[in-house]
Amino acid sequence: MRSIAIGKTFAASALALAVSFGAHAVTDQDLLNDHQSIDSVVTYGMGYQGQRYSPMKTLNTKNVKYLQPAWAFSFGGEKQRGQESQPLIKDGVMYVTGSYSRMWAVDARTGQELWQYDARLPDGIMPCCDVINRGAAIYGDKVYFGTLDAKLVALNKDTGKVVWIKKVADYQEGYAITAAPIVVNGKLITGVSGGEFGIVGKVEAYDANTGDLVWTRPTVEGHMGYVYKDGKKIENGISGGEAGKTWPGDMWKTGGAATWLGGTYDPETDTLFFGTGNPAPWNSHLRPGDNLYSASRVAIDPNDGSIKWHFQTTPNDGWDYDGVNELISFDLKEKGKTIKAAATADRNGFFYVLNREDGSFIRGFPFVDTISWATGLDPKTGRPILKEGGRPGNPADLDGEKGETVVAFPAFLGGKNWMPMAYSPDTELFYVPSNEWSMDIWNEPVSYKKGAAYLGAGFTIKPANDDFIGVLRAMDPKTGKEVWRQNNPAPLWGGVMTTAGGLVFTGTPEGFLKAFDAKTGKELWKFNTGSGVVGTPVTWEMDGEQFVSVASGWGGAVPLWGGEVARVVKDFNQGGMVWTFKLPKDRVAAK
Amino acid sequence: MKAAFRVLLVVFAMLAAVAHGQQPRLLIPDRTLDIIQDSGFLNVGMYKDFPPYSYEENGEVKGVDADLGRQIAEALGVEFRPYWIIPDENLGDDLRNHIWKGHYLSKTRVADIMMRVPYDSVFKYMRDSTGEMINEQVVFVAPYQQERWQIVFDADKLDEINTVAKFQYHPIGVEIDTLPATYMTSSFGGRMRDQVHHYMSVAKAFEAMASGEVSAVMGMRAELEHCLKSYPDRPFKKASNGFPGISKPVWDVGIAIRHTHRALGYAVEGAVDRMIRNGEVAQLYQRHGLSFSRPGYYDAILGPEEAE
Repeated sequence: MRSIAIGKTFAASALALAVSFGAHAVTDQDLLNDHQSIDSVVTYGMGYQGQRYSPMKTLNTKNVKYLQPAWAFSFGGEKQRGQESQPLIKDGVMYVTGSYSRMWAVDARTGQELWQYDARLPDGIMPCCDVINRGAAIYGDKVYFGTLDAKLVALNKDTGKVVWIKKVADYQEGYAITAAPIVVNGKLITGVSGGEFGIVGKVEAYDANTGDLVWTRPTVEGHMGYVYKDGKKIENGISGGEAGKTWPGDMWKTGGAATWLGGTYDPETDTLFFGTGNPAPWNSHLRPGDNLYSASRVAIDPNDGSIKWHFQTTPNDGWDYDGVNELISFDLKEKGKTIKAAATADRNGFFYVLNREDGSFIRGFPFVDTISWATGLDPKTGRPILKEGGRPGNPADLDGEKGETVVAFPAFLGGKNWMPMAYSPDTELFYVPSNEWSMDIWNEPVSYKKGAAYLGAGFTIKPANDDFIGVLRAMDPKTGKEVWRQNNPAPLWGGVMTTAGGLVFTGTPEGFLKAFDAKTGKELWKFNTGSGVVGTPVTWEMDGEQFVSVASGWGGAVPLWGGEVARVVKDFNQGGMVWTFKLPKDRVAAK
Repeated sequence: MKAAFRVLLVVFAMLAAVAHGQQPRLLIPDRTLDIIQDSGFLNVGMYKDFPPYSYEENGEVKGVDADLGRQIAEALGVEFRPYWIIPDENLGDDLRNHIWKGHYLSKTRVADIMMRVPYDSVFKYMRDSTGEMINEQVVFVAPYQQERWQIVFDADKLDEINTVAKFQYHPIGVEIDTLPATYMTSSFGGRMRDQVHHYMSVAKAFEAMASGEVSAVMGMRAELEHCLKSYPDRPFKKASNGFPGISKPVWDVGIAIRHTHRALGYAVEGAVDRMIRNGEVAQLYQRHGLSFSRPGYYDAILGPEEAE
């Protein structure tokens, strides 16, 4: 806890008391109903399935022009940088995380702070891609989030006091946590982030109440999974059956496949869906084989961590198409049938529709304008059909100064990066925040690492067009058609939300939170928050009024790797705020 | 995010911050030569836990880079202060974090000089795709050693190593995410790949050689020589094979300073140049039980170095 003056402590605790008067424990039922509830947002994804769809119609295409600021809250201090968080709302309190592993509870009516928690980060953490955090989980009387030093923190949701802290992985070995954890049936489940230091991705479940480890599931072939019962560690099967099937030599031991973006959950099939990152080392020529389960979606049994099925989007990834993107469950209605489907928009530029019961491929199609590395997907299996010359070169082929340059669309930052898309059961469309850019990539022998000669990849990211990089797209999962698009000058880096009021919300690095017509894509409303929006909006109802909130604060990976993209974003200022808007009661009926 | 390409050469953060006109807010102390001498100390940037170059043992700062840092500080008439660097994913990151901008988690902390920075004119003058110099915020001075790759093998397992082809048949240890790892897993059509064992450090690879898991270790010569000292009773030997096709078999190592501190650079360069010419640097390596190769930079000035 941040130390605060005594007077303020009294005021804050009185306020906390007043708020907690109406506060209740968050139940499994609350989490299961989150996609239908309107008075709260208790899951990352506005529902376990991650559709980010609100059934609320109060705010709609007709009256969104009257949406107005209700309050704003500053994260304070000198710690700004990227704010990629999605707020949670429960009993009139907002729980929001911020950069540098911080969390706040804020009175959702007034924006007044109830408490703040600052993780005490050790010296010497080396987070790869900005010091961001994507959000919290809430269950019982606790809120949870992961920290840059790879710990899970459980706080009393009413007081902000620490209940327990568990180390998930060793930050000194290159691990971190930035994604929101997820609570399923009393288990707090998390993935891990990691750099290129030979980490192995994993998904782990902890007892949400005590913080005890319940199961662990490595996401690289050859590593044993475990369940923990009565203090005993029991083997629960090797991921992928055995080592060495899709990896050469001992490379599976340090294979990567970090689960850095967390997961979604489908209650209907009782399955967790986690994406996995790129394999290590970066150059694919060093590790011929599919390198499972890197760049995959992995379906996991939440009870013991067993893998039910997997779907790999980029076998033997050589472009850093770090396939972590969220898999969103939805009902696909076609030919008179309803299929339990799920969809994901991959870094590699393809959109995949899968059967979520068994992982089988239904269809896939590009969601970006240009894909250079593959000519398409095998219609039966969904495996990419590689284009000759599309793969970055073999370091063994170097002769002379610099390897051959390969141009790849999309760039490694992806057709879509971490930012979650949304699905509307009304329009039956996915709203995908995407980017149009390419990279030049080559083997670069003039590189050094820790005092030693090294062979790196030289690369440059380039916008694919002169006047825009970001594209918010409405994609039809039945036809693969782009129904509408809205171009944006800067790359889109924030999440999307859609509502029964026919609206789609997302933010831009230019600072705007924007609302679009879900059917036509027409821009209906915008508000500049003062810094780039790379967070994910939420909406809820309170005292009969509909509210919308989003975190504002430019940062994340784009300014770290801009390349020629830097020209577009160099003047964006940092920030650290939550902005909350509402539609005043008297405007609801306005026509 | 696990962007593999972070491991890379070029630092686009530099691009974002510098090449495109957004000057970093200067939060770091501006310690010029005068200020350093007035303050009475020199912050010598060295990689942490990196024997035999720079490390701490029982509270004592050790290593050839530390000792050379001490001699430089002495030459400037100030106290030596170690400044520990945790390596980031490439040299560009380290230079940004510790020489010219500061790390974003510790914005006011930078070193006055940084040791063990390659002295490579190609690297120095590299330009990005927009034509801007990538390393313009840094000046590279005072080359003080030439480092190289080498193999140490277990003579109980292997008679000799004439070519790396041997490692199609015998296991070899390398440090993960290094040039030896890339070289051994990609060269000759990947024929040595299945025999390559990856470890978190050269020292760990040596432990594996001691336990019989691998028959050889590839790494930097000084690291290997340092590890050898821990196994005096084992028949571990340095091999003299070459590394055909490796992108860089040898490289010069020097010192980096901020580009606005050129006077400091001249002073450091003068001190180091004197110690190279009068043999003090060679003696320093000798004291540490390490081979010393003069930087290739001096070949044009002093003529070719005599063979070891």
